[in-house]
Parts: sequence; C-alpha cells; structure tokens
Amino acid sequence: MTLLQATAISKRFGGLMALSEVDFTVAPGEFVAVIGPNGAGKSTFLNVLTGLTLPSAGNVQFDGRDITRAPTHGRIRAGLGRTFQHGRLFSRLSVLENVMTGAAIRTDRSESQLREASLGMLDRMGLADEAKRPIDSLSYGQRRMVELCRALACGPRVLLLDEPAAGLNSGEVELLMARLIALRAEHELAVVLIEHNMGMVMRLAERILVLNFGCRIAEGTPAKVQSDPAVLSAYLGEGYNNARD
Amino acid sequence: MADFIQLFVNGLALGSVYALAAIGFVIVYSATGVVNFAAGQFVMFGTFAGVAMLANAGLPWPVGYAAALLAMAAFGALFFAIVYLPLRTSPVVTVIIGTVAVGIVMQNAALLGFGSWPFRLASPLEGVTIDIAGAAITAHAAMVVVVTGLLVGLIWLLFYRTALGIGMRAVAQDAEAARLMGLNVNLLLALSWILAAVLAGIAGLLLGPMWFADVNMGDPIALKAFAATIIGGFGSLPGAIAGGLFVGLTELLGASYLSSAYKDLIAFVVMILFLLVRPQGVFGERIQDRG
Repeated sequence: MTLLQATAISKRFGGLMALSEVDFTVAPGEFVAVIGPNGAGKSTFLNVLTGLTLPSAGNVQFDGRDITRAPTHGRIRAGLGRTFQHGRLFSRLSVLENVMTGAAIRTDRSESQLREASLGMLDRMGLADEAKRPIDSLSYGQRRMVELCRALACGPRVLLLDEPAAGLNSGEVELLMARLIALRAEHELAVVLIEHNMGMVMRLAERILVLNFGCRIAEGTPAKVQSDPAVLSAYLGEGYNNARD
Repeated sequence: MADFIQLFVNGLALGSVYALAAIGFVIVYSATGVVNFAAGQFVMFGTFAGVAMLANAGLPWPVGYAAALLAMAAFGALFFAIVYLPLRTSPVVTVIIGTVAVGIVMQNAALLGFGSWPFRLASPLEGVTIDIAGAAITAHAAMVVVVTGLLVGLIWLLFYRTALGIGMRAVAQDAEAARLMGLNVNLLLALSWILAAVLAGIAGLLLGPMWFADVNMGDPIALKAFAATIIGGFGSLPGAIAGGLFVGLTELLGASYLSSAYKDLIAFVVMILFLLVRPQGVFGERIQDRG
C-alpha cells in the first residue's frame, strides 16, 4: 500500500536536468530519507511533490489520486505537509498566529476551537509559553520547532521535512529527533526527511533514497545504502577506494 | 472656539474618508505589493454607486447603501479577475501601470454614464445638526466619524482575531509559505481586493454628501490617500488612519486659518518632509525586499 507515489519525475530548468526520471513511494507511517550532495535535486523534488514547481514529465499520486498538477493548497488539504530548508515563518505574525494559519485548514472549527487546537499543538511541542511572542524574539532552534508545529497543525499524513536540523546544535537535534519519534508514534504519520546530518538520517530512516545530479543512484535500508559503491563515490569522490586501500 | 470645534469635527470627518481610502490602498499594497493608482476612482465609483442606487433608482436608504456596497464588492472581484489575476506574474510595475489605465477607464466610464454635471448625493441625516458648545455640527459629519471608528474596529477584529484575517496577513507576507499551510492564496487575494473596494465604496458614500458627486473627484482623493499613507507609513494600517485624519484636519483647519488657496499645501509639504527625512512614515517599517 502506498500513500504518496511519484513516477518518473523529470524537471528541466533550461539546459539543466534538475531531476531525471525519479521514482519514489511512501507508505503510510513510513520514515523515508532523501539524501544526496548539494545540488542533487532534493529540494526541487520536494517542490514537485508539493506543487511549488510543476514537473516537466512524470506524475505524482497521493492516496490514489493524481495530484501532478493540483494546486499546492489542495495537496496540503489532502494531507501533505512541508517545512522549508530556510525558515519561512510569517515574521509579522505571533507564534500562535503562525500555527493558526496551519490549523485553519479545518474549516469546521470555530475561532476559539482553532485557537485552542493551536495552543494544544504548541503545548505538546513545549512552546506554550512562547505562544504570544513575536517570531523574531525566538531562538533559531525554537523557530524551527514552530515551523514543525505549524506544518503539523495542517494535520498531514505525509510530512516533508527539508533539512529540519540545519543550524541546530546537537542538543536541539536530539530534541528534534525525540519529537519526531514521538509524533510518529502518536499519529499515523509518514515522514520524508531531507537531511545532511547523517547520524540523524541513519537513526530515523527506514529507507533511504539517494539522489545525485537529479538521478536516483541508490535506494534501500540505511545499512545497504551506506555500503553502496555509487553512494560512496558520490559523497567521497571516485578516489575513495584508493583512500581505503 | 465654536468655529474651531466645527472645523475640527468636519476635518475629522473628511480625514475619516481619506483614512478609509488609505486603508483600502494599504490592504491591497500589503497583500499584493501593488500600488493601486485607481484607488481614488474606487472612491468615486462608491459615490456614484450611491447616486445610482439612491438618487436614480430611488431605493430606500438601507437598501440603497447595501446595493451600492454589493456593487462595489462585485467590482472589487471583477478588478481582481480582469486586472490583477492576468498580470500577477508580470513585474509589479506592469500591474501598477495597469491600475493607472483602469483608473482612466473608470473615470471616463463614469463620465459616459453620468455626464460631467455634478450630482448631489444626500445624507440619511440631511439637515440634522448637533449643538456642541455653541458649534453646529452636521449629524452627517458625526456619523462619518462614528462609522469610520466602527469600521476600523471591525477591520482590526478581522485581521487579528479571525483565522481568515490571519490568513490574509500570512499571504501578504509570504504567498508561497501560505500555500504550504493549505491557504487558498488566490481566494484570499481576491478578498483583499474586495475588501479594499468595499471600504472605498463606504468612503464614497460618506463623502458624497460632503462634496459634490463629480466624475473628477477621484484624483484629489487618491492624492490625499497617498499623502496619508506616506505620512502614516506605507503598508501600515494605524499609519493609514493617523495619516488620513492628519491630512483631513490640516486641509480644513489650513483653509480657514491660513488660506483656502493653500489648503492642500500643508499636507503635501509634510508628505515631502516625510519622504526626505523619514520615508518609512510614522508607523512604517523601513522598506525592504518583500520575501
């Protein structure tokens, strides 16, 4: 059973093939990581999944429905959620208001229910005390947590995280991992993680997709990917074998 | 003293109208980045919607006002669909020039429909005056101030207390991130244009009885609303209100205490001083690249 399925996704920017025939699936509740060197096409891939960029070829299905050309807000309403690599919080809204923009996806709730649900979400993430504060008074780590909280408020079934640990210190990374593990246990939440922090990827991911120059070069369990020659050469350069010898 | 009170209240009333026009201007600018040069014509359309519904069609006050504002809401939606939406991927300057063009079309459409002869739009409180410390205040001027105050309160509630308003503020800051929150960005942008058109409509209905309904009334209003926004701070709602009231008060007080020929001078000199010394206005933030 697959929840999110991308088939033969290609994206061309002028003469550059940013993505080339990438296949990808996510099952409900699964934790998949997408890794690859800088410029491998990871963020472009997330943009295609969320509709911020339309693919040149291929199609995207969510829950059995073709969403290749669906508007972004429609995909979010259907159950996709995403955070950005560089924080994109609404800096002129308070912490609570930021979360409310996500929670507002459910129109069957009154304003006060919406406020309560958003506060509850902040509380679970340990941010209840910051609810009324402006974004620019938060630490970098707290902002990333608010972003996660805001994406979760949309009630996603698949959460796409674009380098959530970037810029966090090791304590904050530990906290983030603990939160992600708890969230998955609590909701039937599938996670697609783009991350350069390999420690985090290896500990959390059940399956890893490796991209390089827009192509899928490997896919499998963390153990399998770690020993894949194509992956090692992409990360360490062709000479890695000589270095090992 | 009685003279001063009378002028002060009339100045507040005129300033309230400028403030409403400026608020509509700011809402569109914050949401879309578009400086709407047709904003003055929006107000003129509001006045003539009143003329059409009340004077021409002879509808009773509440029905006529409601019909005029409904027409303005439809006009806002139409403006969004045929001017903003087709041009939204063009450079913002193209959209701004588009608003100038549509403003000219609007002015000439009004000329074609109503002719160049000014109309008189009556007030529901026609001829009623209130006596305050010997000053005869027209009830209409008092109503304008009260209605504007109520509207400002409602707008504040909308933007800061409802999910809809928070969504509109989110879209104004970062449309792409707003899409990723599941917000229907186009719908919220359309609502911004509709809200701006309705506020301009209310401004027009309130202004009608104070001025004559004249197809050329749009340009001076646009200039005053523009001055109000510069002084108050571009993109700031409190700034639009404070700036509008300031421009209205200086216009009326300047006309009687200094010279009626130079009544607009003070407001524009202040505007130019702000542009030179404090271009972000009283409440504005420094202009930065929009995210």
